[in-house]
Amino acid sequence: MLFFSFFKTLVDHEVTIELKNDLSIRGTLKSVDQFLNIKLDDIQVVDEVKYPHLSAVKNVFIRGSVVRYVHLPANAVDTALLEDATRREAAAQANKAK
Amino acid sequence: MSFFGFDTTLPKDRAPNAPHPKQAPGFSQQQDAFAGLSRNDNAEEEGYDFEDTYDGLGDELDERDDAFNDETFGGSSSAPGKDFDFFGSTAKVANAINEEQLLYARGPKKSIPQPSQQSPVQQRPTKQPVSYAAATKAKVVVKHQIPTEIPELKPEMSLWQTTSPEATPTKSMSAHAAVHFRHVEEPQATSQLISAPPAAAPTQRKYKSLEEVEAEILAKKQAKLAATFQPIQQPPPPQPQPQLQPPQPAQPQLNQQDGWPARPVQPFPQHPQMIPPPQHLQQTQMELPFPPRAMPPPQQNQRPPPNDRAPEHLQRGPIPQPPGQMPFPQMQPGQPFPTNNMQFPMGMMPPPPHGPQFVAIPQIGQQQMVHMSDEEKAKYLEEQSKRLKRNHKIAQLSRYNGLMTPQDKNFITRIQLQQLVSVNEDSFNEDFYYQVYMAIRARNNPQQPLNQFAQTYLGQQGARGGRARRQDNHLLRMQQQVQRAVAAAKARPKASQLVLEGSLGKISFSNVKTPKPLLSIKKQDSTGATDPNQKTSHSTFAGIDRRSILAAAEDIYRCLLELDSHERKHPGPNLAGHQPDAATVQWLETRDALVQKLWRSMRILEPFKEESSAPHPFIAILSVKKAKEAIPRVFRYIDIEQRITILTMITISLDQVDVIKDGRYPPDAVALPPETRRKIEGFSQYVLPPLLSYVAEAQLSLITGLLGILIDRVNLLLLSQTQIGLAFLTMFTSRAEIIKQAGLADDEQVLKWTQTYDRLFAILEDHLLDIFPPHGAQVDDMYVWQFLASMAVGANMQQQQKMVGAVKDRVNENVQASKTLPQEMGQQKLANTNLFLRALGLDIDLLLA
Repeated sequence: MLFFSFFKTLVDHEVTIELKNDLSIRGTLKSVDQFLNIKLDDIQVVDEVKYPHLSAVKNVFIRGSVVRYVHLPANAVDTALLEDATRREAAAQANKAK
Repeated sequence: MSFFGFDTTLPKDRAPNAPHPKQAPGFSQQQDAFAGLSRNDNAEEEGYDFEDTYDGLGDELDERDDAFNDETFGGSSSAPGKDFDFFGSTAKVANAINEEQLLYARGPKKSIPQPSQQSPVQQRPTKQPVSYAAATKAKVVVKHQIPTEIPELKPEMSLWQTTSPEATPTKSMSAHAAVHFRHVEEPQATSQLISAPPAAAPTQRKYKSLEEVEAEILAKKQAKLAATFQPIQQPPPPQPQPQLQPPQPAQPQLNQQDGWPARPVQPFPQHPQMIPPPQHLQQTQMELPFPPRAMPPPQQNQRPPPNDRAPEHLQRGPIPQPPGQMPFPQMQPGQPFPTNNMQFPMGMMPPPPHGPQFVAIPQIGQQQMVHMSDEEKAKYLEEQSKRLKRNHKIAQLSRYNGLMTPQDKNFITRIQLQQLVSVNEDSFNEDFYYQVYMAIRARNNPQQPLNQFAQTYLGQQGARGGRARRQDNHLLRMQQQVQRAVAAAKARPKASQLVLEGSLGKISFSNVKTPKPLLSIKKQDSTGATDPNQKTSHSTFAGIDRRSILAAAEDIYRCLLELDSHERKHPGPNLAGHQPDAATVQWLETRDALVQKLWRSMRILEPFKEESSAPHPFIAILSVKKAKEAIPRVFRYIDIEQRITILTMITISLDQVDVIKDGRYPPDAVALPPETRRKIEGFSQYVLPPLLSYVAEAQLSLITGLLGILIDRVNLLLLSQTQIGLAFLTMFTSRAEIIKQAGLADDEQVLKWTQTYDRLFAILEDHLLDIFPPHGAQVDDMYVWQFLASMAVGANMQQQQKMVGAVKDRVNENVQASKTLPQEMGQQKLANTNLFLRALGLDIDLLLA
């Protein structure tokens, strides 16, 4: 749930999603769910010349399993907090494993 | 012969008493209800003659240039391709188009006279109301932009199925339309048609053979039906169809023909907005509003020939729909149902033409329309289209009304609420980042994010009291619902796996927290391997191994996080009295235990190892960045004594702290390595401020003691050449000076301090130039001037003179440099230098002047 929790804070920020099919889509993150499915608004394909058929698409729903990378807006990420969250997550996992 | 196979002979050209044409249907055959349509009953009976209108342009064509047509347009030998067979492909989608047209045809109609080549009726000057069917048609064309030809050319296959009443809505529709049509035309038609009897007859000649067959079949049926229904029939509209079969009296003919002579024309259900002319009203009121459903709708006499355009487009309005796939207009409550009861094959009753949702607009009759000015018409049309749009929207929205029962909705809601369980169960476990991030943002920007926060996650903070007041009832109710749902879910523990008997595998259920089952890795090996290590590092901390240093730093964080989450469980201020209640006491006890644990995790009390050169464990831990970052957080929890201990520990081992050890400029270097610079930055950002804030409140005796330790145990010269070292010295001297000047210390303490200061000065006085960063280093030397200033403030006359003597060159250098440097940097340099000069009671302006 760490990533879910994390991406929720990025709602309404601009992100770039890199898909496993090498398509990169930049857009405003509208929502994310626990499967890390992603809804983007006002999208723009990074390599628009290569994918002209997507130039008319305004918003997308991306299945979480096809996402390779998400480029984050650095100033919207609280790294210290993220470290803490990761520690908590790790501790929770360790507790669960016991 | 006309293009469409009509008989173009004008009535006047035919002999009035000519024998019935052979190819025309005889009396025994069905009349064609639409035959009259092809007749132009304009005032000028003549119509247009080809010769009258032909301009003769075709005769002037130059035929010689056709020689190369083949080259231009392709060889004429090959058969024409199908490239332009638009009809062929369109016919495939004709059903869809028909459906769509039906949809519109059923919508409220405007009765505007539209010029339409296909409806002869409308070519007349419309003093009489235009046929509703024609109006429908015109409307469709206007609203929809569907090429009218396509469906017309396609034979309606359903027309040829005669028997099943279920399958014949179209036929019945067309029948209606046709009767209706006749009806409308009738006042004019009557007089004219008697004088021109053969006019319509020839139009029927083409489909004789089929009609013959069907006429036989229907003859028996109709005889029966006529007998049954004649008594019930109201007096038919006067002369319903004389134009079609003039030699026969209309009434008997009709009865014979279809057994349904007085089939009511139903203007109201059909086109509610159109007020029919008065005679219509009277007639329809007398007639049955709907024919009995059991009646097989008459179709024979209205069967349009496939090539008869006018009747066929009338049929297009209502297209038969299989009951299963009715387009939504049939289901809408508020929409007017333009057609007959066959539109309700499921036994639904037609709703009142003006449903409650209907936007009432002034209904304007045809005649009124005619007299309206263009402006009014435009306005009226605009209103109409607005209303149409609205009704359409309502229809679309209401399409799914009542699809879900309340139970269904409840079920869905429960599922959705349970998705939120994790958020509310222990949000800080599962959703830590989001919760804290939003809380921090809410603190920074109190209005907006909290609202969003609360709305998104149902105000989970309400559970902790305090801020819940601001959230509205709705959210609280929702939250309670969620909690109930959670409780219910907890009451039924879910198995995470299912093993079916005899199967080889397991079926794992996923839940909201683990969308996919995690890999279950055997943990034995790893824990077995690391645990001994962990233990040893706990007991005998080497302080060299980077890995154990990192692990120790993580330990600190673990304790911090525990403390943090414990802090959130604070039972809240005790309102009852001064005596803390049991919960608070317990909470405080736990907190103390956790703080102790944190303190131990810092390893600050572990003894120095005399024999080894390794730094103290705490200092070793402090060398990693994350440990530095933890210091401010640790300082929040520990008490004064512990803060002193930390400060002392750092002071004692100051020359072993990495930022000091590595902080000296190597010879011949003008800059520190980047990593060291980052460390120094981190130290001054995270470690110094809490220390400084503590020192700012410390007593003079403590300061004196700490400085004494520095002088005794630490290499002061090394210290003075590093940024952090100077920062420590500055910290102590300036604090002492503040205490001295404020008179907060007694004489003995001041004396002690002065002695310590003298010792410090004695050590440094010959090395004052060394404390500057190497010449040319592009670093901010403010910390040096700060240190010099703090020293100068506390120095006596002699000491000040010595200092001025030592750094005079440097001061002049700075002043000179500031003149050549860009303004901003120059000002900065001057300001730094001025710090020192002011401490001496001078000012940079004196030098500049």
